[in-house]
Amino acid sequence: MAAAIKQPGWYRGAIGALLGAAFGFFLVIGLRALMGLDIYQTEQTGYPHIVVPLITAPFGFLFGFGAFDYWFRWAAGKPTIPDDHSAHGATKWQDYFKFNTDHKVIGTQYVVTTLMFFLIGGLLALMMRAELASPGSQIVAANTFNGLFSTHAVIMIFLFIIPVFAGLANYVLPLMIGAPDMAFPRLNALSFWLLPIAGIIFIASFLAPGGSFDAGWTGYAPLSTGAPFGQSFFNVGVQFAGASSIATALNFLVTIITMRAPGMNLWRMPLLVWANLSTSLLVVGATPFVAGAQFMVLFDRVLGMNFFQFLEGGDVISYQHIFWFYSHPAVYIMMLPGFGIVSEIISTHARKPVFGYRLMALALIGIVVLSYTVWAHHMFVAGMFSWLRVPIMITTLLIAVPTGIKIFSWLGTLFYGKIHVYSTAMLFALAFIVTFTVGGISGVMLGMIPLDIHVSDTYFIVAHIHFVLFGGSVFTIFAGIYHWFPKMTGRMYDEKLGRIHFWGTVIGTWGTFVPMHWIGMDGMPRRVADYASQYGDWNLFISVFAFILGAVQLVFFYNMIVSWRFGPKAGDNPWRANTIEWQVSSPPPVFNFDEIPRVVGGPYEFGTPGARHAIMGGETAAEIPEPKPTTVTAP
Amino acid sequence: MESASVALGHGHDAEDHHHGPPEANQSARIDRTVLGILLFILSEIMLFGAFFAAYFFLRVVVSPEAWPPVGIELPVLVAGINTVVLVSSSFTVHYALEAIKRGNHRGLKLGLGITWLLGATFLFIQINEYVHIGFTPRDGAFGTIFFSLTGLHGAHVFIGLLLLTFANIRAWRGHFGPEQKDHLGVEVPGIYWHFVDIMWIVVFLAIYII
Repeated sequence: MAAAIKQPGWYRGAIGALLGAAFGFFLVIGLRALMGLDIYQTEQTGYPHIVVPLITAPFGFLFGFGAFDYWFRWAAGKPTIPDDHSAHGATKWQDYFKFNTDHKVIGTQYVVTTLMFFLIGGLLALMMRAELASPGSQIVAANTFNGLFSTHAVIMIFLFIIPVFAGLANYVLPLMIGAPDMAFPRLNALSFWLLPIAGIIFIASFLAPGGSFDAGWTGYAPLSTGAPFGQSFFNVGVQFAGASSIATALNFLVTIITMRAPGMNLWRMPLLVWANLSTSLLVVGATPFVAGAQFMVLFDRVLGMNFFQFLEGGDVISYQHIFWFYSHPAVYIMMLPGFGIVSEIISTHARKPVFGYRLMALALIGIVVLSYTVWAHHMFVAGMFSWLRVPIMITTLLIAVPTGIKIFSWLGTLFYGKIHVYSTAMLFALAFIVTFTVGGISGVMLGMIPLDIHVSDTYFIVAHIHFVLFGGSVFTIFAGIYHWFPKMTGRMYDEKLGRIHFWGTVIGTWGTFVPMHWIGMDGMPRRVADYASQYGDWNLFISVFAFILGAVQLVFFYNMIVSWRFGPKAGDNPWRANTIEWQVSSPPPVFNFDEIPRVVGGPYEFGTPGARHAIMGGETAAEIPEPKPTTVTAP
Repeated sequence: MESASVALGHGHDAEDHHHGPPEANQSARIDRTVLGILLFILSEIMLFGAFFAAYFFLRVVVSPEAWPPVGIELPVLVAGINTVVLVSSSFTVHYALEAIKRGNHRGLKLGLGITWLLGATFLFIQINEYVHIGFTPRDGAFGTIFFSLTGLHGAHVFIGLLLLTFANIRAWRGHFGPEQKDHLGVEVPGIYWHFVDIMWIVVFLAIYII
């Protein structure tokens, strides 16, 4: 036992969490005593005796868990223990519950953890749909309903969509660029472990007096500054989730810039790498703004500051500006990695090079730049500066151009391709194009000020966001998970169950979210537990399809779990893809490569005889056939 | 750092020929750690950006009659002296880095030590200023944004000081050398320190001067 406590791990982590909490608690008491305040006084929304331990306890846990051991030795000037790589990789399931620095283990940890949060967030959504199945009050009180939609959104955004992309990329990106690992493996592990902490904080808010945070995922001030205690859990949890995604993004950027295999110049990078490069630029630049906004709300709540207190000279609208300056780029943080996944899948399964590869990459960069200029289209009715409306409308409509380029390029890739739809991944990628286009078009509609004013705060907004986030991001996540499942587990999933999941998801998505456009246009307000009886029929319809959508996800989970354990062996390259991660074994070796591969061509040279993307270590030049010249004939 | 490593875990079986991952290809001239700290600083700048946005909303958009409010006198002279203290510490940390690049360990220790002292002086003067300033973060929007911006910067000085403390410890133990990979432990805290410095000039101009 004593030895177990000295070793980094769960015992030491638990003790660290307790010590961290105690440190935070007594820090508050000490500071209050120093300032001559009552040492234990809990103000109406303040609760500093809980908020500060909420921040210090996770750090205590991480200290105990071993996240900082190496850095502590370094900081103290002691000899650092060189990595003997014995902790690398995972040989048994317990290895996934350790502070593991292998990018493949971290990727798996990310995907599994975030899928758990997907399940939780989905259950919250189904509770909402049960409440909304008919007018009047069904299963929850109006206040609880507010808490449900707030936690649903926060969990789905901060703990599912953003991190699951980071997880998939964590697994495949270093392999794709021919790197042995990420640039900062310890930071990588730390950013993963911040994530469950954020999740626990969000979910723990249900235990707070006054219920969970219920000011929406946007947490607008002054609603949030005056909200019950649960709101502080949101403010603190976002800091952990945000720090996690900033650290990961930084890691991706450094990895992509400095660790590419020889020969892999920018125009030979797979589009998934381009997509994560652009996403990471957004995360590093924008996420600090949400951290700042939540700090300000927390300061207002706990320290009695006046950022958003009108009577004290504060500015209420500034919250929305600062918040949306992050949160609009955030929707691209949630979409660009999906664009990358879809480009990989469509090219591979249509057996054609990506149409307009360079323009696809430049369109990503264009979206990054433009997405910093459109935040105020969320605020057309907020009472902001009226002169800002039209410029923001123009940039909002402009951002549809690079997005349209991507959609047309995918269509161009499919055009005259040898399209294989035997894979569920490809089905999801194709359904993504259709669904996302619909969601994108309603986005363009919303960019237009008069229409936006008409449908503000109605179900039209809910329909739009779910078409782009569920029909867009989540479809690409499913596509990505199906596509790389054989690589990650070495086994093949069941295509029949995959098809059931696919058709159920598509029908469920359209059945749930299409009618929302209509009742939204009609004026049904969002974020309210009750509604006028005239919307009753459509809401019942929506709820039925929402439950179909929810139920069919169980097929997905069953398929994943059972195939992981019992599926047939997949082979190294079941999709006959060109990118480097498919040229190693499935699952990949612990250190990815014996020798770093050499990149000799583009990643999507399907149909060119003899064309190679990479030459793996161990191959000699003689084995590489010379590319044969081909005569191009018109189709 | 290299010299500080002790040999552990090099007793693998002969059959285990994988002693670790292959060396990654270096596809950019910039060092990984240096690029990492630069990107981290980019996100830090954006965090300051959020608070500066709040500052200009409170000052320009709300447009109070007097800024700072009547009855509040900011100690511009003290803050000005503090600015000189912090700016000079940027030069000393640069001196330390230049010294170790030439293998001058005495210069390194001298430079890092003086930098640390200057940084600590800055923090001490700032805390002293807080105690005697005569208003609190709860006193109106001005009190809020004054303490938030200077406090946010103070927290960064504190973190920079921690990094410098580590660099000092290792410098005294003779762990740094003229090769770049051997003095990243000086270079990286140094870059961060320059950022803290430049950020202070911006904060100082925004709060005390304009």
